[in-house]
Amino acid sequence: MATVVDSSDPKSNYPIQYRELNYLNCSKGWKSWFFTLDHKRIGIMYLMGVTVSFFLGGLFAMLLRTELLSPAKILMGPDTYNQMFTLHGAIMTFLVIIPGVPAAIGNIILPVMLGAKDVAFPRMNLGSFYLWMFGATFFLAALVIGGLDTGWTFYTPYSVRENNASIIAALLGVFVLGFSSIFTGLNFIVTIHTMRPPGMTWFKMPLFLWALYATALIQILATPVLGITGLLLIVENVFRIGIFDPSLGGDPVLFQHFFWFYSHPAVYVMILPAMGVISEVIAVHSRKHIFGYRFIAYSSIAIAIFGFLVWGHHMFVSGQSKVVAVIFSAITFSVSIPSAIKVFNWLTTMYKGSIRFTTAMCYGLSFLFIFAIGGLTGLFLATLATDVHLHDTYFVVAHFHYVMMGSSLMGLFAAVHHWWPKISGKMFSEFWGRIACLGVFLGFNLTFFPQFMLGTRGMPRRYYTYLPEFQELHVLSSMGAYLLGISSALMVATLVYSIYRGKKAPANPWGGASLEWQCSSPPPHNNFDHPPLAGDPYVMESVVYNEEIGGFVPAECQGDNNGSGTAAGEKEV
Amino acid sequence: MNTAATTPTDEHADSHDHEHHDPRLAHHFDSHQQQFDTGKLGIWLFLVTEVLFFSGLFGFYAVYRSLHPEVFLYASQFLDTVLGAANTIVLLFSSLTMAWGVRCAQLGQTKGLLTCLVITLACAAIFLGVKSFEYTEKAHHGLLWAGMYQSPEHHEAAAVPAAAGAVESGDHGAAHADDHSDDALFEKTKHTLSYMTTVLWAVILLSGIGLAALFKNPNQKTMAAVLGCVLISAIGLQLGAYASIGYHHFGHAAEPTAQEIEMAETVPAEYAKQKEKIPEPKLAGTFFSVYFCMTGLHAIHIIGGMIAISWLIVRTVHGAFTTYYFGAVDFIGLYWHLVDLIWIYLFPLLYLIN
Repeated sequence: MATVVDSSDPKSNYPIQYRELNYLNCSKGWKSWFFTLDHKRIGIMYLMGVTVSFFLGGLFAMLLRTELLSPAKILMGPDTYNQMFTLHGAIMTFLVIIPGVPAAIGNIILPVMLGAKDVAFPRMNLGSFYLWMFGATFFLAALVIGGLDTGWTFYTPYSVRENNASIIAALLGVFVLGFSSIFTGLNFIVTIHTMRPPGMTWFKMPLFLWALYATALIQILATPVLGITGLLLIVENVFRIGIFDPSLGGDPVLFQHFFWFYSHPAVYVMILPAMGVISEVIAVHSRKHIFGYRFIAYSSIAIAIFGFLVWGHHMFVSGQSKVVAVIFSAITFSVSIPSAIKVFNWLTTMYKGSIRFTTAMCYGLSFLFIFAIGGLTGLFLATLATDVHLHDTYFVVAHFHYVMMGSSLMGLFAAVHHWWPKISGKMFSEFWGRIACLGVFLGFNLTFFPQFMLGTRGMPRRYYTYLPEFQELHVLSSMGAYLLGISSALMVATLVYSIYRGKKAPANPWGGASLEWQCSSPPPHNNFDHPPLAGDPYVMESVVYNEEIGGFVPAECQGDNNGSGTAAGEKEV
Repeated sequence: MNTAATTPTDEHADSHDHEHHDPRLAHHFDSHQQQFDTGKLGIWLFLVTEVLFFSGLFGFYAVYRSLHPEVFLYASQFLDTVLGAANTIVLLFSSLTMAWGVRCAQLGQTKGLLTCLVITLACAAIFLGVKSFEYTEKAHHGLLWAGMYQSPEHHEAAAVPAAAGAVESGDHGAAHADDHSDDALFEKTKHTLSYMTTVLWAVILLSGIGLAALFKNPNQKTMAAVLGCVLISAIGLQLGAYASIGYHHFGHAAEPTAQEIEMAETVPAEYAKQKEKIPEPKLAGTFFSVYFCMTGLHAIHIIGGMIAISWLIVRTVHGAFTTYYFGAVDFIGLYWHLVDLIWIYLFPLLYLIN
């Protein structure tokens, strides 16, 4: 093997801990990144794109919150306000949360977790990233053209009118991003089906893979419908085909059905991978076997299936029959069953575990807290009688920020911190990481908890101004938004700092038992030369802490140093 | 090696490199069987997304047909069943040749594979040729999507009372007036299509010359194959367009004069009046919105399929496919069958109402 191997390991029978020559520096020049077929590099590019979009969307959010500090005009007029919340929603949904965990983290981790060299279709993977870039460009175009003020939902007839270049640009963006999402999902499903290593049966897969699998199912089955809906809305705008446009005999409610048929399952595209991350993080950082493995795995699939049957709950006041509304309401309640199963299993996993409050675990615990609130407030909205009161108020805004933004982003942040040593090969500062986590957690709750109260008191969403009695809560909420923004920036700064100044990471800093921790940090270009033998990914006793290395090593290496085989399969030192 | 080919440095093309040198096996697969299974699952999932993509349109169809059945009854009479049926047969035949091609690829029969692919490509082009005639004709009759729809009443208005008048007076001249107005539209259609056919003749000529020049040159296989594909597509389109013009010409001359005039002579005058009174439904254009969206999206898929088949032809000319490496033919074949299948649904749903 021609590679230069540098192991911080003093004894030769430990697995390789750190490689000087890894996927990050095995080839140089911009071409080696832009035309790479390596899933890890593609994942890194996604991660960077998502981060930029996150701060762009976040900037819009903070401008909106600044405007809402007082009922009078501070920064922008009502039209600009409308455009800004539209772009905030569209960017955060389509460019940040949907690709966040699956496309960025999933791309980097999924093949390594499977002990595979790459995803099934590396070219399609790269193509999917460029589609993402392309779609993002359309959003930027919509931003530059200006005038996109339909809300991210593109409801007709707002979205069907003269002078609609920015609407068409944004819809093209949605269409293209949809395909990016489909290709990622397709790649993941095929990879999980055909490229599992020896010994990894379906029920020995890490739960993150189950979650990604369920996510990919939704991406494949729901996104095409969004694609055709977006395409038809573009055609409607250009040619006036009279399918959605009521002035030509079209049916605007039909658009809502089509839109939510995708966009409700898409909510689970956002939350399911985050749940998968939490399953990993809670188990590893509690040093305990995950509780109720099969229940968590099945509940991911159950959520994916339920996700397809509840879209009508977005339309309780849009004029659908009462029977249909009751049915949708009932199915919506059922979604809480698999969700609760997960939460209980995570809690039980922590019970009597040896919990370490690492940054990743802190984000994991924040997830549990925020998801519990987000999930439970969903029940108010699923109830027909209360929904009529709460529909289109800040209560809805707060609810979906708790599940989509709070939970999904906590999942993403937990994932980034959990796998950061693997991705970058460096350890970040736990102190600053935890400070940032505290800031994010407090900032988030301060932003959105007051919005529940605003909503129940009747503050409608998407309004530029409000009655004076709402001002206190609005100011609180804005303060939270600033704290959230600053803390997120601190989090990114901590991580970026670690790239330059961080300690070299051991292969297994947290003591995980799944395959990605058997690979050196950062992994070499091909991850594994030979498919490793997979065992139960949650037997934490299989690895033990080693002082000299500063990380965990397979238990069989620790006891006797006479060169007995390791599970890592990488002992070429 | 996939990766080595695209990343400029080859430092990373390390240990597993010596394990297999087969350029047909991507680096991250262990065996040809795994590679094939992966592709197969991938294409099936892709087809699932395609079905769902079209399902949006079928959903529209179902909703609007149940809301406005009279629109579909009224408007589908303007679609030419014979042309639709001919296209169905053409596509079914192309599916047969495609399946045959997959078989040839599995058996390593390169010549057979090439023949089958060429026929499939030609059929696809014929389909599009016929479709372009249908679209042009619809456009000249004003039968467009809701925003552009012009009621056919504006030229029937002249024809129907005239036909009623013909019954009363026994004068066949009025019926000819009907023919005449339709004839004028047909002439316009032909005229518009003549632009397309002229361009196609030029394409046929140029690509034919190019193909003849490069045919025997072993270094220009790719170019020759591409030109060949262009030539076949152009010939197919030309064939489809001329065939439908020809059919319309003869069908038009024979049918209306024999049947309609006889009908106008035999049915009672009240019937003619009653027929006149059947109102055009309010949203007749919606049918054509659905028609153009569905067949248009399908046509885009046909074009995509033609590009994919051309790519297969180029690779076949290079001898890329062997008995253990024929996945691409198989997968594109599956795609082609799906495109065919969608048409099999579109044809009765749009053309065979009533």
